[in-house]
Amino acid sequence: MTSLITRRTALVAATGLATTTMMRTPLAWGADKPIVLGCSMPQTGGLAAIGKANLLIMNIWKDEVNAKGGIMGRPVQLVYYDDQSNPANVPGIYTKLLDVDKVDLIVTNGTNLTAPAMPVAMERGQMVLAMFALTVNEKFHYDRYFQTMPYGPLGKESISEGFFDAAASMNPKPTTVALVGADAEFSKAAVEGARDQAKRRGLKIVYDRTYPPSTVDFGPVIRGIASSNPDLVYIGSYPVDSAGLIRAAHELGFKPKLFGGGMVGTQSASLKGDLGDLMNDVVSYELYCPAADAKFPRVKGLLDKYQPLAKTSGVDPLGYYSCPFAYCTMEILQQAVEGIKGTDSEKLAKFMHQATFKTIVGDIKFGEDGEWDRPQMLTVQFRGAQGKGYEQFADPSREVILHPPAFKTGDVHYPMGG
Amino acid sequence: MSNTRFALLGMLLFAVLFASEQLVTNQYVFFVGYAVLQYVVLATAWNILGGYTGYVNFGTAAFFAIGAYVSVAVNKLYHPPLPVLILVGGTASGLIGLAMGYLTLKLRGVFFSISTLALAIVAQAVITNWAFVGGSSGAYVIRPRFGPYGGPFIAYLFTIMLVMAIAAVVLARSIERSKTGVGLAAIRDDEGAAEAYGVPTLRLKLMATVVSGTLMGMAGAPLPFYVAYLDPPSAFNLSVAVNTIAMPLVGGTATWLGPVIGAVLLSLIQQAAMVTISSAVNLLIVGLVMVGFITLAPNGIMGLLKKRRPAQ
Repeated sequence: MTSLITRRTALVAATGLATTTMMRTPLAWGADKPIVLGCSMPQTGGLAAIGKANLLIMNIWKDEVNAKGGIMGRPVQLVYYDDQSNPANVPGIYTKLLDVDKVDLIVTNGTNLTAPAMPVAMERGQMVLAMFALTVNEKFHYDRYFQTMPYGPLGKESISEGFFDAAASMNPKPTTVALVGADAEFSKAAVEGARDQAKRRGLKIVYDRTYPPSTVDFGPVIRGIASSNPDLVYIGSYPVDSAGLIRAAHELGFKPKLFGGGMVGTQSASLKGDLGDLMNDVVSYELYCPAADAKFPRVKGLLDKYQPLAKTSGVDPLGYYSCPFAYCTMEILQQAVEGIKGTDSEKLAKFMHQATFKTIVGDIKFGEDGEWDRPQMLTVQFRGAQGKGYEQFADPSREVILHPPAFKTGDVHYPMGG
Repeated sequence: MSNTRFALLGMLLFAVLFASEQLVTNQYVFFVGYAVLQYVVLATAWNILGGYTGYVNFGTAAFFAIGAYVSVAVNKLYHPPLPVLILVGGTASGLIGLAMGYLTLKLRGVFFSISTLALAIVAQAVITNWAFVGGSSGAYVIRPRFGPYGGPFIAYLFTIMLVMAIAAVVLARSIERSKTGVGLAAIRDDEGAAEAYGVPTLRLKLMATVVSGTLMGMAGAPLPFYVAYLDPPSAFNLSVAVNTIAMPLVGGTATWLGPVIGAVLLSLIQQAAMVTISSAVNLLIVGLVMVGFITLAPNGIMGLLKKRRPAQ
């Protein structure tokens, strides 16, 4: 019986198969090799609430991307470490991410947790994509730094711009302003920005004080402000102070024309729910709220995914503040990697300086120092809340957008409680 | 072993580790090493006052942060080399230690401890309102990319901290084995009796607060270059004070070796926990280890080793 396959044919076939296998293996490996994204994310300590929500969103994005086959066929992998909200832990964590875990890309979070990562990234020429960081690159001027919170070129002044624009629309125009803030990083920046705005607009500053971050009784602070009888009260505060100041103003019957400004915490569902109707007429800032749904049509779909998970994870059940912008950070990263078909930091930075990114919070183009080329901070006024409970703030009418004009859904209501 | 021989041994250790640095290509090793050595200095410094003299200092974070902030201020004014900043930061903290020692002369036990806690609160309030060093907004320190002798700057920071750690241990050991050390031990055991026997308690206590404060300030001075951004909550972080007390207690407060063992052990566990368990569990670990040692082995690891030695 004659064999159908000769020895020579078998040898050629085997060689061919082996060569093909050898050629295919690295290609297949290259295609399947995950794109590893590393970050230091506070899961404990003072910044844990926002860190946990951000991580949840990053995981939602990762699962979505991987379900669609990854980025350029490569699955996305997330490596994170808890920095405990302590900046001293950050340099070591990013060194481990870059030198030991060999991550391809890094993301940072928050002002004081981004700054310690900068030297580590700069020494390695690594592109930095930051979220929720205020004017960090003013000091470093690193051309591979990008930040996704919409402060724009105005920096800290963008937090108070809407408040003063809304105040300027009052009739008669206000003439005096009281500035008060916690003696802490963000609130101080917010008040500094407000001070510049007030001076530029010719408002007389009748009260300009800070209070220690450990303050729990805000009655004396409100009494002090009330004694100077200002038209406007601009506040830079953290969550506990925001609640304390709003409660104290109500208890003392203090009703200036406009009250609020850079109040951290008024964006979170728990504080909104706790204060409920006490929030009415308070002016603060938001990054997103249901009143802006028409401008951000995809956000609702994201929140529908986030909110059930948030309840089981014990994070902000509404997720209005950080979710859309954490998600847009990931979208930018994905579009940049797809844009250059790789993860090389130099090419990524070059691409990111030129590209316009289509994101869940609108088109984003980066300007000087890697900040947005325009501000998009929303100034809102709380209206019509009844009793307590955060669920009512899902109603778009509970937060009226006063500024910027492109997002405006109503005029300012004044005086407070009037 | 004589103090001179011990110092020579320290120099030899430095030479070996410095030579080994050249073989290290992974910078993460330097970050972990820096954190461990920083706690060796802090724990050794704390032990001079808390262990040898029996005066428990809860204000470690104040001395540490004063060193860091003086370093920020002087760097902003003159940009001197890092060793100069360390000396200035250490001097400032030493002077604060002298003032604290002088003002709390009559306070003993828990009352002294409360006064050190008060110092930390006062110092934090002052720094928070000192606009020149950033106040509550914090201060940025842009560190150079390379050290003065080439190589990454973190390797230079590691080397500096290594020198300080070895110097602190040599100093602590020489104090422990000198007449001064005997005097400090007498104060710890019974201050009244020591005074009656002619021990210059005032002078020795002041010396202990100054040396302890100086070393803590020196450990804090390079911190701004390590983190690049320094704000009061991180400089006065509670974990600094808790760790610095826990480490000598775990290692043993009676000898110079106890704080070294405690610092290396606990800070390595913490560093490992941060990148494995990845949560604040590491502070919980410190707490549990501290409670465990206080109840089961009040003299720390050194005490346990001492107990086992006669049996062998």
